[in-house]
Amino acid sequence: MPDFTPLYGLMHSFLPFDCLNARFMQQALLGLVLIAPMTAAMGVHVINFRMAFFADAISHSAFAGVAMGLIFAVSPHWTMPLFGLLVGLAIMGMKRHSSLSSDTVIGVIFSAVMAFGLAIVSRNRNVARDLQRFLYGDILTISDVEIVSLIVLFVVIAVFQALSYNRLLYIGLNSVIAGAHRVRVAFYQYAFAGLLALVVMFSVWAVGVLLVTALLIVPAAAARNFSASMRAMFWWAMLISVSSAVAGLLISAQDWARTATGPTVVLCGFAWFIVSYAVATSRRRFAL
Amino acid sequence: MPRLEPNSNARAPLPAMEGAAAVTFQNITVRLGGVLILDNVSASVPRGGCAAIVGPNGAGKTTMLMALLGQTPYSGDILIANTPAGDLPRIGYVPQRLQFDRGLPMTVMDFLVMGIQRLPLWMGVRAAHRDRARGLLSDVRAEALERRLIGALSGGEFQRVLLALALQQDPELLVLDEPAAGVDVQGGYLFCELLERLRRERKFTQLMVSHDLATVTHHATHVILLNRRVVAEGFPREVLTPENMSAIFGLHMGLADADALPAKENTLSSSSCKEDKNHA
Repeated sequence: MPDFTPLYGLMHSFLPFDCLNARFMQQALLGLVLIAPMTAAMGVHVINFRMAFFADAISHSAFAGVAMGLIFAVSPHWTMPLFGLLVGLAIMGMKRHSSLSSDTVIGVIFSAVMAFGLAIVSRNRNVARDLQRFLYGDILTISDVEIVSLIVLFVVIAVFQALSYNRLLYIGLNSVIAGAHRVRVAFYQYAFAGLLALVVMFSVWAVGVLLVTALLIVPAAAARNFSASMRAMFWWAMLISVSSAVAGLLISAQDWARTATGPTVVLCGFAWFIVSYAVATSRRRFAL
Repeated sequence: MPRLEPNSNARAPLPAMEGAAAVTFQNITVRLGGVLILDNVSASVPRGGCAAIVGPNGAGKTTMLMALLGQTPYSGDILIANTPAGDLPRIGYVPQRLQFDRGLPMTVMDFLVMGIQRLPLWMGVRAAHRDRARGLLSDVRAEALERRLIGALSGGEFQRVLLALALQQDPELLVLDEPAAGVDVQGGYLFCELLERLRRERKFTQLMVSHDLATVTHHATHVILLNRRVVAEGFPREVLTPENMSAIFGLHMGLADADALPAKENTLSSSSCKEDKNHA
């Protein structure tokens, strides 16, 4: 296991806040700084593909992932991402091969997976008590093992975004044109669905099942209001996502706040969105 | 086989001359949700010409294009002739309308570069790709649109940008769905003249769907009259007869005056957009 102590020391020197003296806060900060850019980059495409509901379904399959862990006596930290990946690929497959509309497909799988998870979990009282962690997120208990897996995922997502960003935009605008123009649509759609499922499952630790979609949608939506090109949108989404994550963590640790970290992060993102909305509205008014 | 020059005498009665077809539809049947959309359709698209699929609403025109693009399951065969080099031909596709998020901050430059550049747009645009995109925009007379957001373009402007995106493929076969829809009459004529010029310069085969008979009569060199099955196929003046038109449109169209249509010999050399000169 690599020792992240020098990295934590570096982060602390950049952000010399008292609350970051504690090791668990340093770990939480590193975890959030890894998660936030991933959700920002994937969020740009989630908006373009209109896949917010898809992300919601994946995050809610976290319960079923935990249930699978119980059944097979494996740590839920493994079964959750794996199950999310399966659900993501299954939804994409059904969407591509059935005449049902995509929100119907997602709705059907969403409810089945959710019911399965709750049914299993409800049999076990200890887990039922633990459910709160998944609902609201628990970034403060993130361990170095999880941070290592986040780093691996971060590298995979970075490579994927670097190689596929333009192709994903193409498919998001119109998959028929992209296909006619020799873009391998099915490959990119499955790859995106699978990786998005993994990002969502890892983000469940940070902000909980209920708020994962916000982490994907809010930075990208606010970035849209600020930008006049796809390049600007990407970097605005990064800035908004990372700054909200850091600010959310710091605020949640203040004595006057003492709120859960996940919701605080999302509220910071929403503050960005309000500002962006005002900017976009005033820009439109002056343009007219 | 060498690509035929427009106006070549070799471009003659088509179904008989298999080698001259860029695309051949053989017994295509498409059934969606139990409804018969295309019924045993056989037709061909002559190489280097401009073929138009004409028919009333619900005739299966767009479905035929979707089958060609591999977007809908069908039975039968679609033969696409290889290029002289023996490769599968490159296809450029211009859809009828694009439903997309109009608030997306994507510039026309972003839009054109995303198709050719691997380097992600958030790392910027390479100079070579920028030049290429500018060249395409000037080909479709849309140089001024480079910095505009695609969501803010008018119907006619966006159509030209979509055409530029299709031309980026350097297509041997250009497929257009309703190029005259959503554009005013003059815009339609300009677009049609532009296509005609590009087709001569770049020597691609054009296949379009249209229910605008004015566009077809001034533009097409080959017409496929479709109403779930092929009603007639061939040169415009042979196909767009009052009898055929009233058979599928159910009323006398009046447009298909055979004498007004270009004759066999000079379909391509005659300026197909004659009307445009009066309008421009």
